[in-house]
Amino acid sequence: MQGLLKNRRVTLGLWLLVLVIGGLLVWGTAHNAGLYRDPIMQVTHVQTGTATKEEDDFHNVDRQTKQVLRGHILNGKYRGQKLTVTNTYSLSGAMDQHYHKGSQLFVVIHQHRASQLTATAKDAKRDTPLVFMLWLVVGLLLLIMQFSGFMAFLSVALNGVLFLIAIILNGSTQGARVLWIFGSLAVVFATLTLWLVIGANRQMLITLVTTLGGTALSLIVALLVFHFTHEKGMYYESMQYVTQLPRPLFLAETLLGSLGAVMDESTDIISSLFALKRERPELSARQVFKSGRQIGSTIMGPLINVLFFIFVADTFPMAMLYLKNGNSWGYTFSMNMSMGVVQSLISGIGIVLAVPLASYLASRFMVKKVRA
Amino acid sequence: MSTINVLGLVLLILMVLVGGKAGLQSFLALLLNFGLLFLAIVLVAFHFPPLPVTLVVGLLVLALTIFMSSGDDLSSTVAFLASAAVLVILVLLIVPVEHWALVQGFGPEDSEDLEGLSVLIGINFVQVTTATAILSTLGAIAEAAMAIAAGLSEILEQHPQVTTKALLGDGITVGKQIIGTTFNTLFFGFFGGFLALFIWFTGVHYSFGEILNDKIFVSEILMILFAMVSVILTVPITAWVMTRAVAGQRRRAAKRSGDEK
Repeated sequence: MQGLLKNRRVTLGLWLLVLVIGGLLVWGTAHNAGLYRDPIMQVTHVQTGTATKEEDDFHNVDRQTKQVLRGHILNGKYRGQKLTVTNTYSLSGAMDQHYHKGSQLFVVIHQHRASQLTATAKDAKRDTPLVFMLWLVVGLLLLIMQFSGFMAFLSVALNGVLFLIAIILNGSTQGARVLWIFGSLAVVFATLTLWLVIGANRQMLITLVTTLGGTALSLIVALLVFHFTHEKGMYYESMQYVTQLPRPLFLAETLLGSLGAVMDESTDIISSLFALKRERPELSARQVFKSGRQIGSTIMGPLINVLFFIFVADTFPMAMLYLKNGNSWGYTFSMNMSMGVVQSLISGIGIVLAVPLASYLASRFMVKKVRA
Repeated sequence: MSTINVLGLVLLILMVLVGGKAGLQSFLALLLNFGLLFLAIVLVAFHFPPLPVTLVVGLLVLALTIFMSSGDDLSSTVAFLASAAVLVILVLLIVPVEHWALVQGFGPEDSEDLEGLSVLIGINFVQVTTATAILSTLGAIAEAAMAIAAGLSEILEQHPQVTTKALLGDGITVGKQIIGTTFNTLFFGFFGGFLALFIWFTGVHYSFGEILNDKIFVSEILMILFAMVSVILTVPITAWVMTRAVAGQRRRAAKRSGDEK
């Protein structure tokens, strides 16, 4: 009991340490202007002008307001110098910012006479909220999940590093091999993650084969459907931020997107089946397969939903803008949401196909381990 | 037939083949969820206030997703109540952070897509972006709440006399098992969606500082972090709601047996 208590105290101590370090980091990002090369302005005084009414061709009414920001530069060679910047913001604020007293923003300095700098506002500084949220996630994770939380975070962080390497690799090949790079990355991702979550054993191997098999099958089905429908209604031109050939990029995005969900599902099904077999070793392969299908069919729906909301909810602002610019519902859907829906459908196919695959592989190859 | 319809048909057939009636129900839930999402967009475009619309649509989505998949009554009810509570907490977190981070609307990377569109449409984009962030986490909240509730209801079935305190601990244990894989679903789901954006950043040689303060980047990373917070919070909240439900059931049962005597 005393050992347990001591253990608790150590965990609590560690958690407090993370809390304090994180808090310092958040505070630090609010005062880290010195690390940036671009000049950052601290607003100390705001003078708001009168609002003017704007109306566009589609009778959307908005208000634009001019504000005069006074403040000083926090970093670089102009550090400490006072300056005045005018900024215009709108009620909707889709492409502009409404700054307040205390805001920090990047400015572009044009010229400077004896005492007065001339500059324009570029963009807001956003690293503090970003680090704050990261701190919140890590703190909560360690508080509620303790060691497992740490492992979960570690696997996400490692995958993030791998992801970055793959993107740099993709850049160095001008995107010519995007599908190959992210395809092999998927294999590495899955192996590493499952090894961290399950450990190196037969269960992990079966889960890995199911994950890769399910994901690959979904892409094959998708390519077959693409072939027979001649990709009718696939609006590759509607994809955002595309800087290379869109079709392989789309497939790579879909592959990565479905990989995590298929892995999640196969882990669930196969670990339940292993637990079942341990408890009741007399079960036949057929019965194991049946239970696998049972478990799988209850979790596949919610999982497809997870991806659906990630892929499609993201298009909300742009879709709304299309509607407000006098476009029809159908055109708005095609130009904004259809590619996300196609991605969700392909991932969904992978998630569903992984159910029989996981059940079959578990029922067929788990037996030997239990007997041995 | 267009690709999207054929893919949808293939998914429907596979879901029915694998899951039978449950598969059909899940597919219907997916369709209805899409309808709700589109409805939310249309309502906001008609100047309904974004946050109330999102809350109502969010609750409907959670109810649909949870009650239309095959779970027992107790775990479905618990999952729904817990996920609704998480949704409310999440709104209280997302609203101030989105105001603070100034990530509403579109960034300079969007200018090509925005060509020819009027952006001064009189709808507050801070609220629209908040709505987007809330909606994108709904699936993850529902999934996590259902997984924990189902795991706990299975424990209850095997050990009907388990104390509520032990049940709370069991909830955290079940949560520990699912948190690693759920995080990966979120990570890959989001990063798969943003692959093009990240390639853009390396292609155009953004500096580290520029990426860390980029409107789109920060907005997307915040969405992942909100989703992670919601999944983490779902674990203890679902476990707690389950203990309350079980305690209530036991009290009623005790009263009934007392009346019989």
